[in-house]
Amino acid sequence: MLGFVAQSGTVHPMAWWGWAVGVAIATTRSPGVISTGLLIAALVLVVAIFHGDSPFARAFPAYLGLAAAIVTIRVVFYILVGIKGGTGFEVSLPTIPLPDWAGGIELLGPVSGSGLMASFSSGLALAALLLCFGAAIALTDPQRTLRGLPASLHLLGTATVIAMTLAPQLVESWQRVRRAQKLRGQRLRRGRSVSATTSPVLQDALERSLKIAASMDSRGYARLRSDASGGSGAVLALMITALIGAALGTYALMDGTTPKWLSVSLLVGGATAAVLGSVIASRRIHSTSYRPDPWGTREALIIVSGMAIATLAFFSADIASPGTAGWSAVFLLCAVLATTPIPVVMAR
Amino acid sequence: MMLLGFRTGLALGLASGVGVLAFTWPLLTGRGSLLEHNASAPIVLGLVLLGVLSVVLIALGEGGIDAKAIAMLGLLAAVGAVLRPLSAGSAGIELVFLFIVLGGRVFGAGFGFALGSITLFVSALLTGGLGPWLPFQMLAASWIGMGAGLLPRGMRGRLEITVLAGYGAVCGFLYGQAMNLSFWPFTLGPGTALSFHAGAPLAENLHRFVIFSITTSLGWDLARACVLAVGIVILGRHTLDALRRTARLAAFSPAESDVGHRDQQSLPRQ
Amino acid sequence: MTQDGIIRFDRVGFRYSDSVRQVLHDVTLAIPEGELCLVIGPTGSGKSTLLQLVNGLAPHFTGGELTGTITVAGRDTSTHPPRDLADLVGVVGQDPAAGFVTGRVDDELAYGMEQLGLPDRVMRTRVEEVIDLLGLDALRSRPLSELSAGEQQRVAIASVLTSHPRILVLDEPTSALDPTGAEEVLAAILRLVHDLGITVLVAEQRLERVIQYADSMVLVGVDGTARFGLPTEILQGSPLAPPIVELSRLAGWDPTPRSIRDARRLAGPMRDRLTERLSQQSEDPAAHVRGAVALATKGLRVRYGAVHALAGVDLALHEGEVTAVMGRNGSGKSSLLWALQGSGVRTGGTVLIYDTSGGSPTQAGAVRAPRQLGVDPQSLPPEQAIRRIALVPQSPSDLLYLDSVGAECQAADRAVGAVSGIAAELLDRLAPGLSESRHPRDLSEGQRLALVLAVQLAGQPHVLLLDEPTRGLDYDAKRRLGEVLSELADVGTAVLLSSHDVEFVAHTADRVLVLARGELLTDGPVRDVLTASPSFAPQVARILRPLPVLTVDAVREALAVQS
Repeated sequence: MLGFVAQSGTVHPMAWWGWAVGVAIATTRSPGVISTGLLIAALVLVVAIFHGDSPFARAFPAYLGLAAAIVTIRVVFYILVGIKGGTGFEVSLPTIPLPDWAGGIELLGPVSGSGLMASFSSGLALAALLLCFGAAIALTDPQRTLRGLPASLHLLGTATVIAMTLAPQLVESWQRVRRAQKLRGQRLRRGRSVSATTSPVLQDALERSLKIAASMDSRGYARLRSDASGGSGAVLALMITALIGAALGTYALMDGTTPKWLSVSLLVGGATAAVLGSVIASRRIHSTSYRPDPWGTREALIIVSGMAIATLAFFSADIASPGTAGWSAVFLLCAVLATTPIPVVMAR
Repeated sequence: MMLLGFRTGLALGLASGVGVLAFTWPLLTGRGSLLEHNASAPIVLGLVLLGVLSVVLIALGEGGIDAKAIAMLGLLAAVGAVLRPLSAGSAGIELVFLFIVLGGRVFGAGFGFALGSITLFVSALLTGGLGPWLPFQMLAASWIGMGAGLLPRGMRGRLEITVLAGYGAVCGFLYGQAMNLSFWPFTLGPGTALSFHAGAPLAENLHRFVIFSITTSLGWDLARACVLAVGIVILGRHTLDALRRTARLAAFSPAESDVGHRDQQSLPRQ
Repeated sequence: MTQDGIIRFDRVGFRYSDSVRQVLHDVTLAIPEGELCLVIGPTGSGKSTLLQLVNGLAPHFTGGELTGTITVAGRDTSTHPPRDLADLVGVVGQDPAAGFVTGRVDDELAYGMEQLGLPDRVMRTRVEEVIDLLGLDALRSRPLSELSAGEQQRVAIASVLTSHPRILVLDEPTSALDPTGAEEVLAAILRLVHDLGITVLVAEQRLERVIQYADSMVLVGVDGTARFGLPTEILQGSPLAPPIVELSRLAGWDPTPRSIRDARRLAGPMRDRLTERLSQQSEDPAAHVRGAVALATKGLRVRYGAVHALAGVDLALHEGEVTAVMGRNGSGKSSLLWALQGSGVRTGGTVLIYDTSGGSPTQAGAVRAPRQLGVDPQSLPPEQAIRRIALVPQSPSDLLYLDSVGAECQAADRAVGAVSGIAAELLDRLAPGLSESRHPRDLSEGQRLALVLAVQLAGQPHVLLLDEPTRGLDYDAKRRLGEVLSELADVGTAVLLSSHDVEFVAHTADRVLVLARGELLTDGPVRDVLTASPSFAPQVARILRPLPVLTVDAVREALAVQS
């Protein structure tokens, strides 16, 4: 991995996520292997150049491994239980019929070239989807992204920051206690020694969490603005409205008979209520942010490229029909657009 | 600690309803719906679930913000996150649920719900990797925590540990089945004999799902159930005592938590 | 004391919710603005509770019943929870690292201001101010976990200073620090009081460091009462007194000097008397017979990755001797103790324990040679090792995992195969009156140390190692620990302890080793080592320099010889 000087940490995390989501949507509409491959190549290139130093960035190769595993699973399942019969070359494997109570499924059977290609292609699309998430994480440092969460989600944000601070301390504490327990010269059974080690670690950790809470309280955690009374009811009402919208919208989405516009508008309505409630809840809490990440033209360009990719991919079937093995000029354009962050960020 | 008033309870109920729909989507989806293209369905549903979980977390954080509760959530989530790589060796993820069950038992249903989401979120960030399955995992873990908080309050001693171990085993097993169900089309794709067909009768889809489940993950799920039950038996007593002791020491509001009798001995403080 | 004070307690009483004991009873005091007020009291008194009452943590966070009124700069703490007092009072707890909420130094500095809702520009200015004030520039973007204890303490103080509080409350800020680190933190605190006019309330056990700087003192008793006044008044009748005050009582100096310089000015006559007396005594070099070697190490090396913690140490521990290891934080003291016990990392060198029990009577004037081949403690299984060599680690509570004192003692007896009740008996000698059913986590620092000592001594090992045992102990507990160690030495145990506490070492140790950067710099009798170097000298030695006396007891003895 190259890891350039242009630290991606200075780019607002939302821009990277917007870009990644755009590419993700594109992968779900990809017509075949080549298009998906182009998108993956663009992703890997951007990550290689801009990944930061955090441990999350170093985990990107693990995502690549996971992606390869997904593709392999899809192909293996096709060979085992896929619906056979297709064009292209054939590899004749013996058919093993299963008894009737197992649904009359036949294992193996003649494996066709087009079937293999289809399963490989859909597997690759899934792998690409996964790599979008991996790329977004490698490019943004999740710990700093958490600081950008709205104040209404302080429950999640603060608890996560505390958890990330405590986790390495827990590991170190466990090693220390294990070392100390050996000093007592006891031979305990497996179960007893596990609980003998976890008990002091847990007690220590609980005392630590109380100290953190005392420190947070003493420094003014979650002070409400003086004009904040009465907002709580409005927030809860909006949240319940949002949930009702989500429930109805999801049901409508799944049911084939309701018109699409109804289900989508229910969901969008619910989302609006949620955002409104969140804004009101954030306003109630009196806290600001130190060195907030700036949002500039750079970020705007990156997120626009993501949206453009998503839109192009959505309508690609209407613009031009795909060629063999999934080649599509539209997707070539999408892949090129996916590399726009490179010149944009390097230009500063 | 985490006030479960009427409105927050209603929010939890609605969120659970959406969750049930999201998990059972292969069985319920009709022909002609937007979700027929099985690659995009988990993404769309995942986004909906993410929104639903955020809404519930905002609602839970609205009333009675307490630094102690947040610190406790952070701590238990850290414990779960640290245990996740260990459990990958045995059957995957059950050790994470261990502390979710115990924390939900001591601090109540609302706390348990929040603890489930936050633990899975943190462990995904730290050790597990983010992916489109995360909102489903978060919701499943939240249900496990909430359920532990809804168990009858009065039990103590051996009975409590036994009931919790049984509950843990059932949860461990059902978790695997639920994740399988929601990601079944994702894993297999449309072209196999075991795939789901949108709009097909419920029994038919269910039959295919059961075979898929048995062949792929039955062993894992049973192992997970066992490990979770055994873990509760070994660590449950100490952990419950430690959590209750902390709750007593720092004046968590007794109405929500499950602290039990006051201590007669004096605790020396400086 | 005037009635106006920035912190006013008016007939305050406090009791925790699950206990019947009144922690504080009828406390009235008024601390003026801009003063450094020192809060002292034995363990088990309400010192920490008093500090928690100032910013509202008690009763809002800890629970409990408050009677009376506490007013902080006009705000009543019973109606103002801690978050409403956050802009007024800054609190740093006993373990500053445990109070860190974020992962990096600059984020931590800004946290308090973020919670107060200050605009970004103001936050940036104040972060720079505070970095200059406390000298944190080099640490600015470092992760908090990589800082040393002294640096963590300074970052913790800095992070509460950014909200520009008028009052700063510090609970034992120097207890975990070596003397240099403690000096830096104290200098920073003094700068805050003298230059910025912040009122600072400090609770301390190690009075000798802070007493000269205090403008007023609060003495909290075990019965819950508190006396407030000028240092000279409070120290006169106080049961807790640093060596300088004890020496002053012995010599009858008036007014009681608080700093070494003032004491030296008054100490002229005493120095003359002592010089006379000491020259009349003769030192009989043969009178001090050293016991047999109980543990010997040659060329001990410990390496963690690229860091050389110990680079070739040779030493021998003799029976009946208490040896102290001193040195800066990070000089390798802990590594030495763990490597000697056998469970720690040992990259090179040999460690041998000699079993000298059941031998023939000694001959005066000679160091006995070891009587049989030594055993390497690393090769022993744990249950045998505990019978020869025992280690009490830095945080003794790591060893305790059962839920009652009695259960721990019984487990210890079972582990060494001793008669049931030996550990409990030992515990009774070390900490009398400790009920068997108490939960180990509820004990005070001194009681927990006593419990762990009893547990580790159940096997009657003849080498005992202690890693920083004096941290968090008050004078009384330290005295009792010193007595116990002397008793053990009399029975023939070889004791090795590491400590920063010069006064404790002066009282208890026979020999002192000084480690720096993994090498043994000095190895000699306690009197020679502690009087040779100014940074290691106890208060009495500094006052009476160049006389080789270390403790007030030694002065008392020397003066009483004639009469």
